[in-house]
Amino acid sequence: MTTLPTTPAPLKVRPGGGDRTWALLAYTAITAALLIFMRSTIADGPMKLLQPVLFGAFLLSMLFAYQWKAANWAKTIVYITGIVFVLPFMGRENASYFDLVIQILIFSALALGLNIVVGLAGLLDLGYIAFFAVGAYLWGIFGSPQLGQITGNAAYAHGLNPAYFWLFIPLAVALAALVGVLIGLPVLKLKGDYLAIVTLGLGEVIRIFANNLPITNGPQGIDGIESAPVPWLDKIAGSLGFAPEQHKLFFLYILVLAVISLIVLVNRRLDRSKIGRAWIAIREDEIAAQAMGVPLLRTKLLAFASGASFAGAMGVIFAAKQAFIDPTSFNYFQSIGVLSMVILGGMGNISGVILGAVVVTMLNFTVLPTLSEVLQAQFPNINQNLDPSKYQRFIFGFVLVFMMLFRPEGLLPSARHQVEMHQDDPPAGSLSADNHLQEGTGEGEVLSPGFATRGENERTGSEK
Amino acid sequence: MSLLDVQNVTKTFGGLTAVNDVTFQVPERSIISVIGPNGAGKTTFFNLITGIYTPDTGNIKLGGRELIGLRPDQVVEAGISRTFQNIRLFPSMTAEENIMLGRGVRLKSGYWDAILRSSKFKHDEQEAVDTARLMLDFVGLSKWRNELSTSLPYGDQRKLEIARALATTPKLILLDEPAAGMNPRETEDLKALIRAIRDELGVTVVLIEHDMRLVMTLSEYITVLNYGSKLSEGLPHEVRNDPAVMEAYLGRGTAAGEYGKEAQA
Amino acid sequence: MSAFRLHNTGDQVDLQTVMTILLQVLVGGLSLGVLYAIVALGYTMVYGVLQLINFAHSEVFITGGIVGYFVFHALQDSSMNGYLKLVLACLAAMIVSGALNVVIERLAYRPLRGAQRLVPLITAIGVSLILQDTLKFVVGLTGMFDLSVTLPKGFTSPLTKFAGIDITSLNLQVKDVILLVVATLMLIGLNLLVNHTRLGRAIRAVAHDRQTAGLMGIDSNRIISLTFLIGGALGGLGGVMYAMKYQALNAYSGMAPGMKAFSAAVLGGIGSIPGAMLGGIVLGWVETLLGVVSLFSALPGLHWLSYIKAEYKDLGGFLALILILFIKPTGLLGKSSTEKV
Repeated sequence: MTTLPTTPAPLKVRPGGGDRTWALLAYTAITAALLIFMRSTIADGPMKLLQPVLFGAFLLSMLFAYQWKAANWAKTIVYITGIVFVLPFMGRENASYFDLVIQILIFSALALGLNIVVGLAGLLDLGYIAFFAVGAYLWGIFGSPQLGQITGNAAYAHGLNPAYFWLFIPLAVALAALVGVLIGLPVLKLKGDYLAIVTLGLGEVIRIFANNLPITNGPQGIDGIESAPVPWLDKIAGSLGFAPEQHKLFFLYILVLAVISLIVLVNRRLDRSKIGRAWIAIREDEIAAQAMGVPLLRTKLLAFASGASFAGAMGVIFAAKQAFIDPTSFNYFQSIGVLSMVILGGMGNISGVILGAVVVTMLNFTVLPTLSEVLQAQFPNINQNLDPSKYQRFIFGFVLVFMMLFRPEGLLPSARHQVEMHQDDPPAGSLSADNHLQEGTGEGEVLSPGFATRGENERTGSEK
Repeated sequence: MSLLDVQNVTKTFGGLTAVNDVTFQVPERSIISVIGPNGAGKTTFFNLITGIYTPDTGNIKLGGRELIGLRPDQVVEAGISRTFQNIRLFPSMTAEENIMLGRGVRLKSGYWDAILRSSKFKHDEQEAVDTARLMLDFVGLSKWRNELSTSLPYGDQRKLEIARALATTPKLILLDEPAAGMNPRETEDLKALIRAIRDELGVTVVLIEHDMRLVMTLSEYITVLNYGSKLSEGLPHEVRNDPAVMEAYLGRGTAAGEYGKEAQA
Repeated sequence: MSAFRLHNTGDQVDLQTVMTILLQVLVGGLSLGVLYAIVALGYTMVYGVLQLINFAHSEVFITGGIVGYFVFHALQDSSMNGYLKLVLACLAAMIVSGALNVVIERLAYRPLRGAQRLVPLITAIGVSLILQDTLKFVVGLTGMFDLSVTLPKGFTSPLTKFAGIDITSLNLQVKDVILLVVATLMLIGLNLLVNHTRLGRAIRAVAHDRQTAGLMGIDSNRIISLTFLIGGALGGLGGVMYAMKYQALNAYSGMAPGMKAFSAAVLGGIGSIPGAMLGGIVLGWVETLLGVVSLFSALPGLHWLSYIKAEYKDLGGFLALILILFIKPTGLLGKSSTEKV
């Protein structure tokens, strides 16, 4: 069979002309060495500010391995160094690194899911975190003493056997996809802007339910959520020198890595298929897509359900990792956080979206809190009002506005979006984006730049 | 036996009757033109056939199958494809990808095939690529295969839209002003292309066109719409000499001789 | 709305009580509804001219409330007439909010005119977040602004008589009546402005078709700015009314009522001014009714109503929105339009 030229060459944008194999290896070695050897120096005091800097610099090596032109063996070395050696090592020395990496990976998965919905299919979903909540509460309820509370059955005083965790991941995928379809059916028939507001409302619905339904234990949340028992892995972790309380993180680290690899694979395969083309077509011109045989509702539902299922799976893992969930993890603000990851990194581009997730998660979980901590320690009398970790909204908002105004295609744009976002002058004969929204008012002569000649005004569109 | 059979179709928007009681038949393997002044309801007529609008009354049948109630994508599946008056290619896709998208409607593999990369999926992708090459070749755009659709010259964009429509293997193709914005040379090419669509691919063609020279030399039958109603129909020379048509285009009292030239402008 | 009391005698609820509750819903819902309507106008007018959901409007609105708080606070000990204080608070709020809205449009939305559809929408969300934390920063982290002591005396006294009829059971306060009157006057004023002035005609023209309006010599950028000014000023006024009604607010409290007001705008038909008013009032009623409906569970055969907790009233707007979008996607008074192909 011949190779499939589904991603044609001209769309591949690879920065850097020359081979950077040695630069890549050197960079990785230096950042890894700095991180490892300075780990105790940067553990406390003002030097702590270096923690996220060095850690971020090291993580960048993996991005460079993906982006740069370098020998494949070198890239493999970089990936293995990072994923197999440095990250687990840092996690063993200081569990907060493990926690952070798992958090980053969970949010990367969420961002990849939202990327299908927003980046590929162009559907602005502002309640995406609801699907994450579905997965988290599903396992939260069944995998914790909460089940005993609800059923009043002493046999479930500690929830289901934690081994059911494995069953609940696919269950959560299915349930989140189902919820996605149920929500999507009425909503996806709507025009884009309405979709945004309705999904925002749906996010609120889930939050209000989480706050008020007896089975979710309301604002108190659910505590004591179990994670799957994996004795053989614990043994390995133990022999590698991990403390017993780190075994769970070690397991989750491996699990999350596996799941995210699967998600990336699915994401890529869908992107490069008939379905991926249909999503892009819908994003760019719904009417033309439909007139070329793309079933709108079905295709949008697929995007919605795919995105939702990723979030559902990650919800289960999140619940297991945190052992405690409450409604605050699933509010509007969280949805916006995931959206800003997608926007920052670059809609439609997998590596871009992961980059966005890394940057935003690190900002949220290390940079800002560390900054606050250091400020507090240095200036104990500082005004509470100047605590940077209390201005996350500002930072997210700034990311969104700045990117939209100056770099709408994101830090690492997908080739497609670069084309799309820089089409200020629409091609000949097509309607300007501006005009798009007001077409159909009836009398309006459609003025299009370029070559359009006559007959634009067919007086068809007044009312249905 | 006609391929497309439109019976007494009417469509109103608010108070405006865009298409009024139009009956229209298209024999298999024919080339038919729909002409009329701006605002005559030609594009609305296409939108009714392709399912973008639903008629208030009337029937539309393709090869005996009722089309009313089908969504636009189902109409494509049934065998009618179209191009747009204001070109609507997908800007971030290459020429080839645009055509592959069009082929999608004939591909059988689904969501799980794509994720699992099943043999059915691989077969389908190959078919899409093959179709794209074939169609690019057919319309003479092979050299643009990997170029972004919007970077093509204007006339070639129109041809690419035709290729994309043909990739759906239609029985009938509707061309909405295919020659708009083309120079005489390109129009000549287009004429040959439209003939080839019918003669080589066996696809029936209906076109809306303002270029009267093209219409008169290409079509086997012409229907004239004016204010949403059928004003006249017949063979090219019959329509050309119909006083009602001349009046609709040019107003009262214009010499018949200037007609052809004027209508083109 | 916790003031409702139910005289439950055994399993029987007397008709008198039911009627009282319904009357309370009618009046309370109306005062909430006109508040939503004022805020909804800001959304609907901007949507009308730009086809953009101005997510930042909820912050523009709450800015008005905060400005109002500061005016009341500054004049707390002054012997000035309470209504004059109110007028000053409203004016200050309208100026600040209107100006803020204009600035937002200039800096964030205007550069994106003609960009891809999602771009300005995401920008608007970002502006909303930026404003939330900017407000928080500017006004400090002191938490809630409590108006219960700063409001002019008399505003919170209960209303017992209206046209000689005893209305104590309606649980109304003077401020509720102020809210109703001010909001109604504003709605009438806006209607006059839009339908009977040159400016109003220009706004309608731009909303209808910006290109053609431009050809007719209308400076659409100026009209868009003016629309933001009017919408923002109305939002600011709504903010003062909100602050007065609930007597407590903070930098983040614009979000929830803002979203409800937008729902009201869609419910009534986005882009339609009478629609926003109607939508606001319907929403006010639905929400107020949902908040008390569980009280009726004592009625025979209506036991299931007890499951509708008062907390679910916040879902009322959303449910109404979904329902209307299902039945009539263009809203109650909206005109439909199909995309030109």
